[in-house]
Amino acid sequence: MQTNFSQKQLSNERIAEAEAILRRCVHCGLCTATCPTYVLTGDERDSPRGRIYLIKDMLEDSAPASPEVQHHVDRCLSCLSCMSTCPSGVDYMHLIDFAREYIEQTGTRPWKERAMRRLLSEVVPHPDRFRFALKLAPLGRPWVKLLRRFGFDQAAAMIELAPAVLPPSPKYEGPGVAATEDERRARVIMLAGCAQQVLRPGINDSTIRLLARHGVDVIVSAGAGCCGALTYHLGDEAGAIEFAKRNVDAWWKDIENDGEPVDAIIVNASGCGTTVKDYGHLLRNEPDYADRAARISELARDVSEFIGKYDLGAPRRWSSLRVAYHSACSLQHGQQIKEVPRELLVKAGFSVVNIPEGHICCGSAGTYNIMQPEISSQLRDRKTKNIKRVKPDVVAAGNIGCITQLSTSLDVPIVHTVELLDWAFGGPVPLGLEDLSKFVSDVPEPSKRRVNDFIHA
Amino acid sequence: MSDLQRPGADWELQFVIAGCAEKRMPVEIVGSGSKRGIGRPVDGAVTITTASLRGISLYEPNELVMSARAGTPLSQVESELATRGQMLPFEPIDLGPATGAAHGSQTIGGVFATNMSGARRIQCGAARDHLIGVKGVNGRAELFQLGGRVMKNVTGYDVTRGLAGSWGTLAVMTEVTFKVIPWPETAATVIYLGLPDDLAIELLSTALTLPVEVSGAIHLQAPVAARLGHPGLRIMGKSVTALRLENFSSAVAGRKQHLKEMLKVYGKALELDHRESLEFWGELRRLSVMPNRPSLLWRISTKPTTAPKLVAAIKRYMPVEVYYDWGGALIWLEVPAADDASTAEIRRVTAIHGGHATLIRAEPAVRAAVEVFQPLDPGLERLTRGLKAAFDPAGILNPGRMYANL
Amino acid sequence: MPANTCNRRMTVTIRYRLEHPIAVLLSKSMTAIGGAAILNFCTRRAAHLNFLKLEPPMTLSRMPEPDRTVLDRSEAIIGELVALLGADGIISREEGRRAFEADALTAYRQPPLAVALPRTTEDVSKLLKYCRQAGVKVVPRGAGTSLCGGATPTADSIVIGTSRMNSVLETDFVNRTITVQTGITNLAITDAVSAEGFFYAPDPSSQLACTLGGNLAMNSGGAHCLKYGVTTNNVLGLKMVLMDGEIVEINGPYLDSGGYDFMALVIGSEGQFGIITEATLKIIPRMPFARPVMLGFSSCEAAGQCVAAIIGSGIIPVAIEYMDKPAIAVAEAFAKAGYPLDVEALLIVEVEGFEDEIDRLLRAITDIARNFDPQVVEASTSTEHSDRIWKGRKAAFGAMGRISDYYCMDGTIPLARLPEVLSRIGEICAEKRLKVANVFHAGDGNLHPLILFNANDPDEAIRAEQAGAEILKLCVAVGGCLTGEHGVGIEKRDLMDIQFSPSDLAVQMRIKSIFDPHWLLNPGKVFPLPAQELGEQSAADEAA
Ligand SMILES: Cc1cc2nc3c(=O)[nH]c(=O)nc-3n(C[C@H](O)[C@H](O)[C@H](O)COP(=O)(O)OP(=O)(O)OC[C@H]3O[C@@H](n4cnc5c(N)ncnc54)[C@H](O)[C@@H]3O)c2cc1C
Ligand SMILES: Cc1cc2nc3c(=O)[nH]c(=O)nc-3n(C[C@H](O)[C@H](O)[C@H](O)COP(=O)(O)OP(=O)(O)OC[C@H]3O[C@@H](n4cnc5c(N)ncnc54)[C@H](O)[C@@H]3O)c2cc1C
Ligand code: SF4
Ligand code: SF4
Repeated sequence: MQTNFSQKQLSNERIAEAEAILRRCVHCGLCTATCPTYVLTGDERDSPRGRIYLIKDMLEDSAPASPEVQHHVDRCLSCLSCMSTCPSGVDYMHLIDFAREYIEQTGTRPWKERAMRRLLSEVVPHPDRFRFALKLAPLGRPWVKLLRRFGFDQAAAMIELAPAVLPPSPKYEGPGVAATEDERRARVIMLAGCAQQVLRPGINDSTIRLLARHGVDVIVSAGAGCCGALTYHLGDEAGAIEFAKRNVDAWWKDIENDGEPVDAIIVNASGCGTTVKDYGHLLRNEPDYADRAARISELARDVSEFIGKYDLGAPRRWSSLRVAYHSACSLQHGQQIKEVPRELLVKAGFSVVNIPEGHICCGSAGTYNIMQPEISSQLRDRKTKNIKRVKPDVVAAGNIGCITQLSTSLDVPIVHTVELLDWAFGGPVPLGLEDLSKFVSDVPEPSKRRVNDFIHA
Repeated sequence: MSDLQRPGADWELQFVIAGCAEKRMPVEIVGSGSKRGIGRPVDGAVTITTASLRGISLYEPNELVMSARAGTPLSQVESELATRGQMLPFEPIDLGPATGAAHGSQTIGGVFATNMSGARRIQCGAARDHLIGVKGVNGRAELFQLGGRVMKNVTGYDVTRGLAGSWGTLAVMTEVTFKVIPWPETAATVIYLGLPDDLAIELLSTALTLPVEVSGAIHLQAPVAARLGHPGLRIMGKSVTALRLENFSSAVAGRKQHLKEMLKVYGKALELDHRESLEFWGELRRLSVMPNRPSLLWRISTKPTTAPKLVAAIKRYMPVEVYYDWGGALIWLEVPAADDASTAEIRRVTAIHGGHATLIRAEPAVRAAVEVFQPLDPGLERLTRGLKAAFDPAGILNPGRMYANL
Repeated sequence: MPANTCNRRMTVTIRYRLEHPIAVLLSKSMTAIGGAAILNFCTRRAAHLNFLKLEPPMTLSRMPEPDRTVLDRSEAIIGELVALLGADGIISREEGRRAFEADALTAYRQPPLAVALPRTTEDVSKLLKYCRQAGVKVVPRGAGTSLCGGATPTADSIVIGTSRMNSVLETDFVNRTITVQTGITNLAITDAVSAEGFFYAPDPSSQLACTLGGNLAMNSGGAHCLKYGVTTNNVLGLKMVLMDGEIVEINGPYLDSGGYDFMALVIGSEGQFGIITEATLKIIPRMPFARPVMLGFSSCEAAGQCVAAIIGSGIIPVAIEYMDKPAIAVAEAFAKAGYPLDVEALLIVEVEGFEDEIDRLLRAITDIARNFDPQVVEASTSTEHSDRIWKGRKAAFGAMGRISDYYCMDGTIPLARLPEVLSRIGEICAEKRLKVANVFHAGDGNLHPLILFNANDPDEAIRAEQAGAEILKLCVAVGGCLTGEHGVGIEKRDLMDIQFSPSDLAVQMRIKSIFDPHWLLNPGKVFPLPAQELGEQSAADEAA
């Protein structure tokens, strides 16, 4: 596509990068059809191609972001479905990230929105604060209607999303090493994350158990925390960079430590995985960090991607459960991991069904369900309807965002893929599946388990 | 007889039409005149026949395309195609036997001007679907050439196809270019006997939803079937429901098995081999099961599932004999002669069930008095008038042939 | 008698001559318009012939002058539109309008006056009725994937987008039809019936995104139309809103037309006759199996002869697609389909049927191919492999975007002329110092040369467009046509008089005037601009 930037504009490195991305787009429109917001609104401005165009105009004009551009860029879920579709390989992700930051710096927002963004980025990435906030949430519940009436839709959405009862604290808490009892075949660092530990601590527990049981040492590094995705998608690049640097520092200590190689950095929230895999790009202009960040991005693996490379052997439990696998956008589009989790579930003995319109987002998208409650709830309902059509016993997803989002509307339990795998390979019943455990029976223990085909990633 | 003009070249035709247009003299256009007995009679001071515009001007078997001057007899076109193992996909119907004309006389221009397709229409499409280029002269005496000789062509509006089925009321075609297809290696027919209309149509619909590419799906009521040439079928005194498969031999055999398996609830199937199939479908193509008689012949296009209901509704008013083609989507309906051609009843019933009806055979006086073609809704009527005026502002080409004052 | 005849013939001829649009144009412009139009016309002709180098407007085609009286009223007009559809249905601010300034041919750009997004046929009717009364031009738009500028707005027009009209209204599997709103995407139609074993046959490569409305307006084709035909062969009935707001139904869920075949005229009318809001389509039972085979050749001649031989042998595959070396490289990079990278020409031939039939057909096809010395003969090994083979072919245009801007041509030629045409295309592009990749539907001779250029280099953009025009002239010269499936739009409108005589054009323009007597629908497309102006004029005269 033709662009129209002056030499002066292009001397700005960020603009030059954006220009290179824009030039690749041929305006063919194929991406529109798979964009969740366009599917709902039928408005070109809510489509990837439309957003690219709005961004192009905004950057070409060097103008401050207008409310209209801001509105439609805000409505983008960053689900990256468009990137899966685009045959020209347009790097939409980095374009929209840049646009968000540009808008944050040049645009204006109403105070309510600013307050909400501030609140989210101050609270959610910090588990203690977040846990405390969730304890307060029930107090807000009676006021939801009133909040809506006065135009505090986002606050209302936030309160509604908070789970009524908080799950028990995780078993494995804080930094340390979970050493495998088997012969060790790999050594990995696990990102413990932020909101996920509070909302569903069982996911980290299951990950550690599953890996350790299969000969993997799991390190949770001291000082590592939120990956920075949340602040990044709110347009605060500087904040995200801070988070990223902190993690790089923390992980690097364990990578350098005692000379033993780290085989991978395991992320079990795919939204975070996409961001960690992009640290190399995010920190490319930070001289002290660029190299290490690039190395870390190379090491980053989604948990399913990592275990997909190994033969886990036969499951310890056998179930007839019908599992609908919900492909989180950050996994299928962001990291292009589509079939592996499904295959893992099948190998673990579940009967897996495909959800129609599987490429469309559930509306969770980080903090999107709070910032854009209207579109988000439409997408949630659409996804719920599609899930119901295949009549599953349980839904599995690889991202805490989707799990939180869909648990408010589904009438069947939804858990993390790794929780089901852990269960099948000997772990405890995942939270919420207690009623289904009667459909699961133990497989008689074979005399000797095969271990020798364990290979390095 | 009116003044007969036999232009042998485009410019001659242009010249004749220009003269007529100037004097506002009505012109009747005929190919061989084979379908003259259809439609409303035209009272033309001048008759133009395309009979001298003859000859195949292009034939590229490897590109499946042929061009012929409009007056070329269909028989010539088909025998030329046959030399290269090819044919017209849409199996043009020969109304001769049904309307009392000689059979096999029609011209290729007339075939497209009337857009009447035979049994293979359900599989391959109508005449209009295969018309890709046309040269002609309109009522303004302008010579125009639209479409072309290539299969895919969206350059400008699709006026070429728009001229198909216009019965010579918009322009005189002087050359047509059309798609052809190879003859299938073999054909087979599967026949079920004695089914009532509704079950028969159900059977045909089921067969057409199977992936076996049924290329003919017809149902003949018992009295109609009694006129078949095939001695075995003729004497059964039962209705005949037939399905045709065409392909290479092993494919036909496999598909036939599959088809019979899926349809076994409808009873035991008879089969016609390749040669018998050619005869059977050839007869249907000539419409010889509906021979020329004083009775009326209507042709009604509707949804297959409503066809038996539509026929049953008409039967409440008058005796009927029916040949269902196109899996039930086309009804050849024979009813007793009547001065008003029973238009009121037939049109009302067609309106209720959806579709369109054309009176194919009736005395000229009757055809002059009633609406032979499907009457138009106001919106379409306005467009129809507009289209006629755009091509033939003086209204000289086949005036009244399709609609009384057009 | 001879003298008499001769006389008559003379007058007739003169009359006839005078009725020629160009003749009338000459006489009219000489008197009333005073030569301005002629000047205009001549300049453009000259531009065609490269006598005159055009300045920055990087394209050869200009758009009609916007109607000042409409622009002056724009606020009032937008107010009325909002009153009709509600603010949610109208886009009127600058940034938003700009998102609609182009379709997939971005060389032409112009934001419209406003955009309306109706939800129902009645909404469309209200909008058109108002626009007709207010004398406002209208540009219908589906998904904006047109490659010929078919959905490019003008400054004084309202874009009416059908993207919100995307429901399936009825599926009827027994009668094998589906009725939908026309804003539905092509692929969604097949998705709606595939669980029952059916599909909707026309499959443009853009099928994921393009709407049925756009397909109808362009009479779109696709890879599989060799066997199943193009859009017009797969439609049974239409509901359309005319410019005055009248809703007409053309045919229905039954076969053929009871009178004139208006459906034939409307399909392929490029949005100039009315806005089609609903359609009833034929759906076809899907064959149990389909499998492509890849045939690689060392020359395009061999590939072309092989296509002719396959068709001549009596086999009609579902699709025969062609890619040349540059196109193969790009498609392979995207789809990893295992295309052979060292052949000059690759044919993808797909057959379908039952398992044993496929084996037999593929054997017959490869036997034929062996006569032309193929370098590669490789049948797909699995459904997944077939999907990748098609993914690469269908995404070939888009994937080209990875390496360069491209300008996609769409001429059709008689197959026998293929080698000659391909080598001429190579020469034309070389003369203009441009690269070209060829991807096309070989079974029906529909070429898609992709001319690669840099859109940010105005000189190169002009050269690309000139090369494109020459290629299309070449297609017509060998007996083909300007466009096989993408439509004329703005892009090819000034080449129309290469393929058509003035009376050919007049015949078409008169039909436009029946549907849209004031020429308000999709202005500036299909016909050369002077002819359009004349068409409008004579429609007005005839009306008066
Ligand atoms: C006595 C009789 C016998 C018939 N026999 C047969 C038959 O054997 N087979 C068969 O298929 N059909 C038959 N029909 C129907 C008739 O043959 C068909 O109408 C035939 O297909 C038309 O071909 P034609 O050349 O005779 O056209 P005509 O009957 O001459 O014309 C049919 C219509 O097409 C128009 N038309 C013809 N040529 C052109 C042209 N070049 N440009 C524009 N309009 C044109 C005419 O004006 C007329 O409206 C018969 C009809 C009658 C009355
Ligand atoms: C990557 C790519 C591949 C393509 N491949 C093919 C191909 O293989 N075959 C092919 O034929 N085309 C192809 N195209 C071209 C294009 O996709 C088709 O022309 C398509 O039909 C356009 O549909 P649309 O919905 O995008 O229409 P638009 O681009 O929005 O509009 C196209 C035209 O249709 C009119 N229109 C739209 N909706 C209506 C309506 N409801 N009523 C009346 N008029 C309307 C518009 O005014 C315009 O003139 C391709 C395009 C791209 C970008
Ligand atoms: S699919 Fe890619 S190239 Fe096409 S419009 Fe979308 S982003 Fe641009
Ligand atoms: S990231 Fe998702 S919501 Fe955003 S434009 Fe792409 S497809 Fe649409």
